[in-house]
Amino acid sequence: MSTYLGQIRAIVWKDLLLELRTRERVVAMGAFAVLAAVLFHYSIDRTAVRPQDIAAGLIWMTIVFGGLLGVGRTFHLESEDGALKGVLLSPAPKDAVFLGKTISNFVLLYAVSFLVVGVFMLFFGMELGTSPAMLALALALGSLGFVALGTLFAAMSSATRMGETLLPILLFPLLVPMVIAGAGATGRLLAGRPVAEVAGNIRMLAAFALMAVAAGAVLFRFVVED
Amino acid sequence: MASELEAPQSATGAPALEARGIVREYGPVTAVAGIDLSLEPGEFLTVFGPNGAGKSSLLGLLAGALRPTRGDVSVNGTRLDFGEVDWRRHIGVLSHQGFLYPQLTAEENLAFYGRLHGLADLGRRIPERLAHVGLADRASSLVGHLSHGMRQRLALARALFHDPDVILLDEPYTGLDPSAAAVLRGVLTELKDGRRTVVMVTHNLSEGFALASRVAIQVRGRFAWQGSADQLDVPDFERLYHQVVEGRA
Repeated sequence: MSTYLGQIRAIVWKDLLLELRTRERVVAMGAFAVLAAVLFHYSIDRTAVRPQDIAAGLIWMTIVFGGLLGVGRTFHLESEDGALKGVLLSPAPKDAVFLGKTISNFVLLYAVSFLVVGVFMLFFGMELGTSPAMLALALALGSLGFVALGTLFAAMSSATRMGETLLPILLFPLLVPMVIAGAGATGRLLAGRPVAEVAGNIRMLAAFALMAVAAGAVLFRFVVED
Repeated sequence: MASELEAPQSATGAPALEARGIVREYGPVTAVAGIDLSLEPGEFLTVFGPNGAGKSSLLGLLAGALRPTRGDVSVNGTRLDFGEVDWRRHIGVLSHQGFLYPQLTAEENLAFYGRLHGLADLGRRIPERLAHVGLADRASSLVGHLSHGMRQRLALARALFHDPDVILLDEPYTGLDPSAAAVLRGVLTELKDGRRTVVMVTHNLSEGFALASRVAIQVRGRFAWQGSADQLDVPDFERLYHQVVEGRA
């Protein structure tokens, strides 16, 4: 078990170190989040709609589209010198490779999701609400579910010629339950509604994340084996 | 003029590396068309062949990187089971790709692969391995800043880092200058220690022949000829190679 955990840690360490050196994914996701918030800010007619009423949906759409930029490139650096093949030829179980990559993607996207919420609060003039911890939990569960499915499908699409086009087509339909539950929870929490009102959404996000991680861990080997 | 060699059996009766009737098809294309192979510890097999003969596919099958369409591969008597991973500890692969991360340093690359293999004492092993391939002074250099020859030596250190019994080499001399090739030749010569089993595929007749105890010529997915390297010298083998590849033998 300690070897298994060590293999997961090795993948996480390597991925985060690569990101620290290149910064290509975090910068792309962060820049997209800020630019999307600015565009949404200027595209809304405030005489017709209150920004607070639609902010939660826009926050989650920004997380999904921004996250796609990062998760979609998760296997890009691996392919430069055949490094992914080296990882797959090692004795690390495929599910350990998947979990390591999912955790490192989660760390990046979770950080970006806070940036997204912060930028929208700034441009849309919103308050953090009465339960920031619950908001952080909703973002964590949503991000985890997204990166788990995203990592699985990024592995699949990276092996195809039209991978970057294919990834959103494969991924977005499966994200509908997560976006509904995430936007529902975020909207109510930012509006200062009681935590009890979002319990159902949180349970939905948790179930989605659990199923996405489990499905990814089981299916990843079939995606990467030649 | 096909020749079959009977490999000597090990004490356990199980060859170090064995392939039985392996076939690999990519849709309508058959890259490996039924190869049988049995190698004992200490044997060094070099496989020659023209482009498109299926040499890299053969190596991929022996490494467990490719699943055979038919047939099976065993290492030390254990059949390669894609659901299990422990047998991968016994195999080291050096490809024309280095499997290295250009944005990590030489020592970080080895540390990463060491952790994937669950190796202990990386603080001692890494400097030793880097010194072994003449890269002790480049431990902290990013791999992307190393020359091709240095990267290939580091890739060799990575392939041997977990001390595998079976070593698979895919065109290891590609793109190396004479100095880098000499270092690589020196390290490969050390692998002939009687314990390890090596399979190398290459176009380079002289380099491939120099280290081999057995040689094979692969044409259109099959071993069209195989024999002991002691039976021939390089000029004889070169003539034989052209005859076999052109279908005159």
